Amino acid sequence: MDLPRSIRFFLEDTGDLARFTGHYFGLGFSRPFETGELLKQCYNIGYKSFGLVALTSFIIGLVLTMQLHPTLVEYGVASQLPVMVGLAIIREIGPVIAALIFAGKIASSIGAELGSMKVTEQIDAMEVSGTNPFKYLVATRVLAATLMLPILIVMADAIALLGAYIGVNIQGTTSLTLFFSQVFHSLEFSDVVPAFIKTFFFGFAVGIVGSYKGYKAAKGTTGVGNAANSAVVLASVLIFIIDLLAVQITNLLGFN
Amino acid sequence: MKTTATNNIRLGLFVLLGLALLVTALFFISSSSSFFSSDAQLKARFSNVNGLQEGNNVLFSGINAGTVKSIVLLNQHSIEVTLLIKQDVLIHIPKNALVSIGTEGLMGNKVVNIIPLAGTFPGINDGDYLAVEKKTDIDEMLATLSKTNNNIAAISEALKGTALRINNSAVLKLLENKGVAENIELSIQNINTTTAQAQEFVTQLNSIITDTKNGKGAAGLLLSDKDFAANLQQTMANIKTASENANTITREMNNFVATLNIAIVNGNGPVNSLLNDSTLTVKLNKTLDNLEKGTDNFNQDMEALKHNFLLKGYFKKLEKQKKKDTAED
Repeated sequence: MDLPRSIRFFLEDTGDLARFTGHYFGLGFSRPFETGELLKQCYNIGYKSFGLVALTSFIIGLVLTMQLHPTLVEYGVASQLPVMVGLAIIREIGPVIAALIFAGKIASSIGAELGSMKVTEQIDAMEVSGTNPFKYLVATRVLAATLMLPILIVMADAIALLGAYIGVNIQGTTSLTLFFSQVFHSLEFSDVVPAFIKTFFFGFAVGIVGSYKGYKAAKGTTGVGNAANSAVVLASVLIFIIDLLAVQITNLLGFN
Repeated sequence: MKTTATNNIRLGLFVLLGLALLVTALFFISSSSSFFSSDAQLKARFSNVNGLQEGNNVLFSGINAGTVKSIVLLNQHSIEVTLLIKQDVLIHIPKNALVSIGTEGLMGNKVVNIIPLAGTFPGINDGDYLAVEKKTDIDEMLATLSKTNNNIAAISEALKGTALRINNSAVLKLLENKGVAENIELSIQNINTTTAQAQEFVTQLNSIITDTKNGKGAAGLLLSDKDFAANLQQTMANIKTASENANTITREMNNFVATLNIAIVNGNGPVNSLLNDSTLTVKLNKTLDNLEKGTDNFNQDMEALKHNFLLKGYFKKLEKQKKKDTAED
């Protein structure tokens, strides 16, 4: 009976998350808007994550280029390195790496923050004081994550391309103009737009999972830790699942 | 409250920067795939598009001129391809331009190439049809190649026969023979020497000619002396007279011989009997015979005389004189 029990838990969890999401869509966009809190969360979630995302993206761009270079030289297409790296970064590596880093930082922080508020019964207190805690705490964070991650990823892509440019220039000389001309010549809207759209879903997944895990944190000292931990794990897994769905849908729509 | 404001400014900058990056990227992509600009349309009908896809690039003389908008199968023989051409490129495309489907790089994407022909033609208009260039396809090339291969095989077979014949021929042996080469070398040396000598001879001849011209030497004298020429003329006149005289003499002689002949044939003189009398011939023969015998006897007598002691001294002296003469010679 152990396996069915875990399945039951999983199904319950999924159902709860779906209900939570539905709740968000029901309440999140109703007046009054918590604009100040939203901006504050945007600042915390977006602006403060920039350094981390920028660093990882830069390194990924650089390393990817350096790793690809020997193979491309072997096939005699080293001149296609910018094209290949550009496509890889814009379509897949940039968004996913940045989203995973973002999930590690934001899902855990939202989970821990909301979890500790839940454990210390601040949420209940907020409800008593007349503020809707869901709107104030959850909706702002989810929206902030949804809006900020795409912007972060656009920047991350740019920084990763910069890293790639440096990577290309370690093994040879390519002017910045040629590099970006090659990259943008090979890029189509069908490369950029689906990749950009899916980042909204990544951001939303990170925000909603973090909030859900924190909001539903179990009482007790381990509750907060569990909430933070499971938020990161679930958000990361969801990012990959959304990525898979995104590529399937873009293929289905013929944008590939 | 102040920190919130600063944070908001930072956030604003962050968001603006992100959006600016996004817009710039989209702009760059649009400039290469011509999404926003207003484009003209050109059409072409192909029988085979070789895997061309919508969105493939269109090149005009190698310059990016637009993209493929649509590919429509009209019937089993023709496919209509609509090209989106940038306005600034369109004005340079002449009406007689040809369109063909090629490949980017060795195995890259398909591209549509628009190639202008020589000469100036009026520009093409929006919506016009372009003529399709007949491209040599690989099957055709292979067919030609096969024909060429057969020809090459025949040629190489013939060449082989020729080579074998050359191998067995005497010419090759001659070429390989060392002695021949040496002989040829020697001959060339001889020719060299001869040429040198001929040169020398010509030089000498030249100098002789020059001398002759200047009146030096016997020949020169002969050729340039006027007195001599006059003498020669005189001599020639004399010779002429002489030959005329000779002519007269010959005629007279002829007459004389004719009369003589008649006299011989008809006359009774000793010459006639000498020539015509057979008994005389027999007598003459006998006389000659007797004479021969007489001489023989005389010879014997003379030999006997040589050995006679009285005359021996004279003969010895004669012999000595003869020996001395041969030694002096």
